[in-house]
Amino acid sequence: MRLLKNPNFDFMSKKLFALTISGLIGLAGIVSLIFHGGPKLSIDFKGGTFVAVQFTEDINVEEVRSKMGDVNIDGQAFDFSREEVKHFGNQTAVSVRVPHIESSPSNLAQKIAVHLYNAFSNKVPENMIDFILSKGMVGPKIGSELSGKAIMAIFSALGLILLYISIRFEFKFALGAIAALSHDVLITLGMFSLLSYEISLPIIAAFLTIVGYSLNDTIVIFDRIRENLKSSKRDSYTDIVNKSINQSLSRTIITSLTTFVVVFILWFFGGEVINTFAFAMIVGVIVGTYSSIYIASPLVIFLHENAKK
Amino acid sequence: MQNKLTPRFLLIGLVLVWGIWSLWPTIKLQNLSDDEKNTLRIEGKLEEIETKAIKQGLDLKGGMYIVLEVDLPTLIENIAINKDGKLSSIFDKIRADISISPEADFFDLFSEHVEKNQLKLSRYYYDYGSSSDDILSSLNDEAEDAINRVLEILQNRIDQFGVAEPTIQKQGSQRIIVELAGVQNSERARSLLESTALLEFYLVKDVTTTNELMIKIDQILKKDKSVASVAKELKSQEIESDDASSEQAVSVSELFGGVESTTDEADSAIVDEDIFAERPFSSLLRSLGNSIGVPEKNTFAIKKLIEKPEVQERLASVGSNFLFGHKAEDYVLTDGSVERMYALYLLDDQAELTGGVVEEAKANLGPQGTTSAGQPIVNLSMNSDGARKWAIMTGSNVGRQVAIVLDKKVHMAPNIREKISGGGTLIEGFANIDEAKDIAIVLRAGALPAPVEIIEERVIGPSLGAESVKSGTLSVLIGLVIVLVFMIFYYRTAGTIADFALVWNIVLVLAILASLQATLTLPGIAGLILTVGMSIDANVIIFERIREELDKGKTAKAAIDGGYNRALTTIIDANMTTLIAALVLWQFGTGPIRGFATVLFWGILISMFTAIFVTRTIFNAFVNRKGFSKLSI
Repeated sequence: MRLLKNPNFDFMSKKLFALTISGLIGLAGIVSLIFHGGPKLSIDFKGGTFVAVQFTEDINVEEVRSKMGDVNIDGQAFDFSREEVKHFGNQTAVSVRVPHIESSPSNLAQKIAVHLYNAFSNKVPENMIDFILSKGMVGPKIGSELSGKAIMAIFSALGLILLYISIRFEFKFALGAIAALSHDVLITLGMFSLLSYEISLPIIAAFLTIVGYSLNDTIVIFDRIRENLKSSKRDSYTDIVNKSINQSLSRTIITSLTTFVVVFILWFFGGEVINTFAFAMIVGVIVGTYSSIYIASPLVIFLHENAKK
Repeated sequence: MQNKLTPRFLLIGLVLVWGIWSLWPTIKLQNLSDDEKNTLRIEGKLEEIETKAIKQGLDLKGGMYIVLEVDLPTLIENIAINKDGKLSSIFDKIRADISISPEADFFDLFSEHVEKNQLKLSRYYYDYGSSSDDILSSLNDEAEDAINRVLEILQNRIDQFGVAEPTIQKQGSQRIIVELAGVQNSERARSLLESTALLEFYLVKDVTTTNELMIKIDQILKKDKSVASVAKELKSQEIESDDASSEQAVSVSELFGGVESTTDEADSAIVDEDIFAERPFSSLLRSLGNSIGVPEKNTFAIKKLIEKPEVQERLASVGSNFLFGHKAEDYVLTDGSVERMYALYLLDDQAELTGGVVEEAKANLGPQGTTSAGQPIVNLSMNSDGARKWAIMTGSNVGRQVAIVLDKKVHMAPNIREKISGGGTLIEGFANIDEAKDIAIVLRAGALPAPVEIIEERVIGPSLGAESVKSGTLSVLIGLVIVLVFMIFYYRTAGTIADFALVWNIVLVLAILASLQATLTLPGIAGLILTVGMSIDANVIIFERIREELDKGKTAKAAIDGGYNRALTTIIDANMTTLIAALVLWQFGTGPIRGFATVLFWGILISMFTAIFVTRTIFNAFVNRKGFSKLSI
């Protein structure tokens, strides 16, 4: 069976249209990022406390929020009603996130859980152990270290990849690949900001995987361009790029589709913990495929034509 | 050709056998029932299987992950001799610096501040060398030694607590990472780890001294303007609380009534700012007959008041210190109402005896016929030195109260009835026998040389872990089946070969995880799914190339050769970049991220091997078969 028989689309003629769309989506993301003062970082990076609890029946988030307005810990009153309170996976579970506070009582996560347990005593499991699904605390020290590590990870990965592609291809290809993956990460970041999803530690892993995937896709096309440059020297650069994209189109579609299906299922069935991870991957697979054709390739053409002048 | 293929099949077969052999313990462990596990555990065979099986991460199994940090400033301050105000002010400054820039290294700050203030280190640490540099390096050694001892003691405590597979490791110079997989009661484990296990025995100040001091503190605080705001804050809280407690606030004066005019009934109904203003300290307290009670809602205010420097100064001048009871209890007040309160004790500021003398600690239920009958207690026995001191102390203080203090919290303060010789004593005041057992554990394992602080904690409840395993496995299986079916549908025989390679690929990645004793985490499962994608991609690239070659009119054999050769560079280049990303993740990541990176790394390597080597071999075998005419792709 074959999806496409000798496809011959003129991809590059529509590059301005595609760039406009990219630009608009990117801009929306950037505006959202600026508006929110940067990406929404999880307690992994900021430091803070997290609790997820399981009730025995459906629970109203607003009710939980109002109960969080008056948390009394040994005579010290806290108002957490403006912190993040939302459903966790389904309607019967709730998660609460509180950023790090000065003079935070020790073991705050447990104390918040106990407060909620007592506040909704008719809707909780008999045993406290069954009530707490998950909880956590990240000290500000750890948070700032992790931020540093994450930034180091992203930049050293980019540097190494740039180096590898420069060696195996040409420097302009490296720039094209980096532009494509920056585009992908920026769009995904923008999407996260628009949907007010948090950037947590696993999301950094998802981002680096998107980087890997985007590169993988870009390089398959670049590889064709490299090959066609050697064999058909008379064609124009744009034609060669177009031809290469068309030749690898079947592969692009099949791989993207299967990967998309796989991450989509992960998103759909994977459970609460892995949900945003899978979401990042879904966005990444879509933009990663698109950017190989419409970001990486046009930039390589542009750099080539500029170099000739 | 047949001869050339045989060694390749042999290699593939060997790798497959190795893979299944490595995975065997995992499969075996999965299929064991709890009963069978128990019998194996008794025979001592379970551990062997467990170490060879793939470990599930905390996010899958449930459990807790804790990062503890040794409080270096306190450790170094504690070992100083001739402590004075100058030294402690330097430590206060260092602590302030650390709270502003948490990444700073303690010893860098220490030497910096020592230099700035021209502090003579040899004055405080003459045991550690003569020059400043010598002392600093010995103190550094001391800190390292301390963390190793902390590690050992925590190891000891956890072993006695009984967790299946604890992991305790040192990270950097002042941190310890503890992972307790499958631990059910994270609170117990937490307090077990956090406890310094510093056991001290203090004499309790007598009632007259206490009364006098309270009046002095009231007078001091009256002058403090910031207290007025505390009073206001409390006032607003008081409105919400019921009247009974407001009435009781005044009855405190009965305890200290000897000096102040007795408050009559009419007055006691009104608790307002006047009383707070007049007696900002004692009006927050309650009388508990012989001791003082702090209502739970006033604890924070009382702590803040006690911390005030002028109060601390006053306390120091009479050589005393306030300590709280270790838990709040319901007390019935004179008017019959019940209030939850912490006990507050005024103690000597020098301990009579410390926990170093404890030789053995056992949790028990109190014997019949004693006040603690049926209550959980901890029996202590002391070494000869401790027993001697204990006998002298109890002998010369008959009639007074002695407070048994654990980690700066008073567990009990019994009256000394007679001289206790032989060094035996007991501690009561535990909520349940588990708590008594845990305290006995920490006392046996010994006190930590320095206090530790929990700087990161992640607890995954068992139900969430199980849920994650279920949904994770489910999504992997569904994704896998869809991909497998699609490949057969789209590429026919070639697709079947690719499917075989894919399953083989997953088996091998899991086998490697098992033999590396790596941990499978939730992101690890995601990594496995990604590996599926990568493996399929490599095959798709090859198959599309073969189709192109076939379209050019080449024979099946030539098309396969050409397709593989041309796809090779593409696959290598495309996978190398992801490999780089995986390596970087592994280098910088911890815990779950590292799990993801490990799976991704091996997944890519193996998928390259299966796509390039394994499927190729099978294709060649197909083409070489007699009667082969057309490639089904």
